[in-house]
Amino acid sequence: MGCWVGKIARVNLTTGKVTVTDLPKEMAVSYLGGRGFGARILYDEVGPSVEPFSPENLLILATGPLNGSKAPSSSRFSVTTKSPLTGTIFDSNCGGKTGIKIKDAGYDVLIIEGKAAKPVWLMVDENGIKINDAANIWGQDVDITTDTLLGQVANPQSATVACIGPAGENLVRFAAIMDDKSRAVGRGGVGAVMGSKNLKAIVASGTSHESVVDQETLDFIVYEARKVLKQSPITSIGFPTYGTSSLVRVMDMMGAFPSYNFSESSFGYINDVSGETLREKIFVKQKACWGCPIGCKRVTKTKNGEGEGPEYESLWALGPECGIHDIEVIAEANYLCNRLGLDTMSAGVTIGCAMEMAQRGIVDSGVKFGDIPSLMKMIENIAYRRGFGDALAEGSRRFSEKYGVPEYAMQVKGMELPAYEPRAMGVQGLSFATSNRGGCHLRGNMLGPELLGVPKIVDHSGASGTVGLLIFHQHLSAAFDALGVCKFAGFAVSDEMLARMMTAITGIAFVPHDLHAAGERIWNLERLYNIREGFTSKDDTLPKRFTDEPLKSGAAKGRVVNLAPQMEEYYRYRGWSTTGIPGKEKLKLLGLEA
Amino acid sequence: MLEEFQRIGRDLFLSGLVSSHGGNMSVRMGDRVLITHRGSPLGQITAEGIVETGLYDNDSSIMLASSETPVHRTIYQQTAGLAIVHAHPKVAVALSLFEDEIIPIDNEGSYLLHKVPVISSEIASGTAMAGIVAESLQKYKITMVRGHGCFAIGQVLEEAWQWVSCLEESAMVIYYARTLGGQTKEFRKNADQYKKW
Repeated sequence: MGCWVGKIARVNLTTGKVTVTDLPKEMAVSYLGGRGFGARILYDEVGPSVEPFSPENLLILATGPLNGSKAPSSSRFSVTTKSPLTGTIFDSNCGGKTGIKIKDAGYDVLIIEGKAAKPVWLMVDENGIKINDAANIWGQDVDITTDTLLGQVANPQSATVACIGPAGENLVRFAAIMDDKSRAVGRGGVGAVMGSKNLKAIVASGTSHESVVDQETLDFIVYEARKVLKQSPITSIGFPTYGTSSLVRVMDMMGAFPSYNFSESSFGYINDVSGETLREKIFVKQKACWGCPIGCKRVTKTKNGEGEGPEYESLWALGPECGIHDIEVIAEANYLCNRLGLDTMSAGVTIGCAMEMAQRGIVDSGVKFGDIPSLMKMIENIAYRRGFGDALAEGSRRFSEKYGVPEYAMQVKGMELPAYEPRAMGVQGLSFATSNRGGCHLRGNMLGPELLGVPKIVDHSGASGTVGLLIFHQHLSAAFDALGVCKFAGFAVSDEMLARMMTAITGIAFVPHDLHAAGERIWNLERLYNIREGFTSKDDTLPKRFTDEPLKSGAAKGRVVNLAPQMEEYYRYRGWSTTGIPGKEKLKLLGLEA
Repeated sequence: MLEEFQRIGRDLFLSGLVSSHGGNMSVRMGDRVLITHRGSPLGQITAEGIVETGLYDNDSSIMLASSETPVHRTIYQQTAGLAIVHAHPKVAVALSLFEDEIIPIDNEGSYLLHKVPVISSEIASGTAMAGIVAESLQKYKITMVRGHGCFAIGQVLEEAWQWVSCLEESAMVIYYARTLGGQTKEFRKNADQYKKW
């Protein structure tokens, strides 16, 4: 099947049974892979009666068709489940090697169901899938777990480890799965679902079996794609030199860099936390995901440690969002989250929420803005569910609701927001509100058109006119997630090039429209899933702060998100009802009719 | 959005890519389309010069919309485009009378366009032309209709306009190079591959 191996593996941890079935070709072409496969399988198998932590919930690791190919920046794989943080369908994706290795082992998809009687880890390779006792690593952090498992496998050089830390074991609702220590399948509590199944780790290993129908054409398209990556200053200078933190000063200049739990839209100590400062003070070397010519990752070193990161979002969440501007402390908080297996973003924003509530005298949580020792201690307490950390381990929405002040949780559908101030952007707030997995910057980020000018700069004053463009980007994002391609490559590589690569690899004629159609199909299927779970248009909303409180300063001073008219346009343009339900005609067009 | 139509329309006219009442533009908004009024001079677009209609369904707005609305609809239904610019770039139109595809020989055109196919249709707005233009735009960001003009797609009007402008510049370079005569010196590593794009 060209870029698809053609096999789905299913592991039942309750029974210990492993089954392998064929990947239906129709599903491959319609949903492409990754997030698309995850959405289709979860929709078909996990209904409203299934609780996220129950054995009946699935953990679906799905590879993309371009994983392991010569397509640039194409190592990303997806993990789909019903999220314990949001209750929605949820996929989180990651640039680590696990996806490629699962594919090399002979599978497009690895479905994990049931619950093991005691802690286990999985070995996935060309010999099959084996369930192993994890007694010696349960309770250990990510670094120790990874090193221990690599010490146990026959060929550690070709193996990769995806594991959970204490946060996942303790069912922290925003626990991550860590891939080779520092790449995170970060969001939505996928690590907690893994922990609920008593699954500590997945070790994957295999040999590449890439199959290409038209190698000469693929080589030419990849050459052209790498050329545009080299010519874009974003992908050839900004990200490689300063990492994703190159966005820090840019966003601050635009008045779109939140701080202090989104009560400010810029940061007074911005030069202390900029990409330039990171490079000057703690940078060790540049690193890249598999097959990525951009290389936005940072290896860093502080007085007390060394590791990877912080990325833009982590730097912000564990820094300015909590009122902290010491770059070394932020990096160390990031290292700690990685070791414990915590999503840095939800951790930072949830702690930021607790800090604001403490500052307002609502709760004596023991943390306050700018308090470094409290931040580090609280990260540990969350992972081990100690003291106040136990309440914060539930995420900002549940924590704030517990005290009757949900307005201080900066979240949508339960997921903590990323580092983009929606009041300073045109339709970014609408993007957050309509995201099927909750507050997220990766479901149709308007950073490109609204701020960076990719493909062209558009009005970001909040005026009408860019809702259609957001929908386009939501579909394109879904297609990228399904293909297994990093969205940073999308700042230069076009959908046209990706379609041509797919054609060259598979021999099936793909055009850009096919990718967008798959994206729209995935988006609507996720929407249907959430509707079946009881979500309504009332959940397509934002914290009151963004709709009711004008920005006090910065480039976007005085602005709020005028969400209602944008939402009306959004539903209408999507061909949905006024209450956000996809119509029969739309579903028929997408091949999603019941 | 009106300002965007006005800005691009004016520049299309001033740069000679359309005549006074030639060409048209549209933007897709999900399942709706905003398109220039029939006979609207692109250099002088007013609020009344933009018409909203359905992407799939007709409505009475079709009485006002550009006569090439069916072409725009078909393009949107079959491609990933969010904006369409239809213009009449003179040198590219002239070249289209000789060629079945325009392969830029300049750096910018090679980089951005790779290749522009030329298709034939005598009727400017018919269903038949809509189908072949849309089919071509499934694979290419801009396509020429022989002796007529080009259709370009983009995420925004400005992007589609860029492809039109780039095509005309590449066509002019080809024209100048042929006029100068002799063998051109190649600078592209994979020059022979562009024909296969």
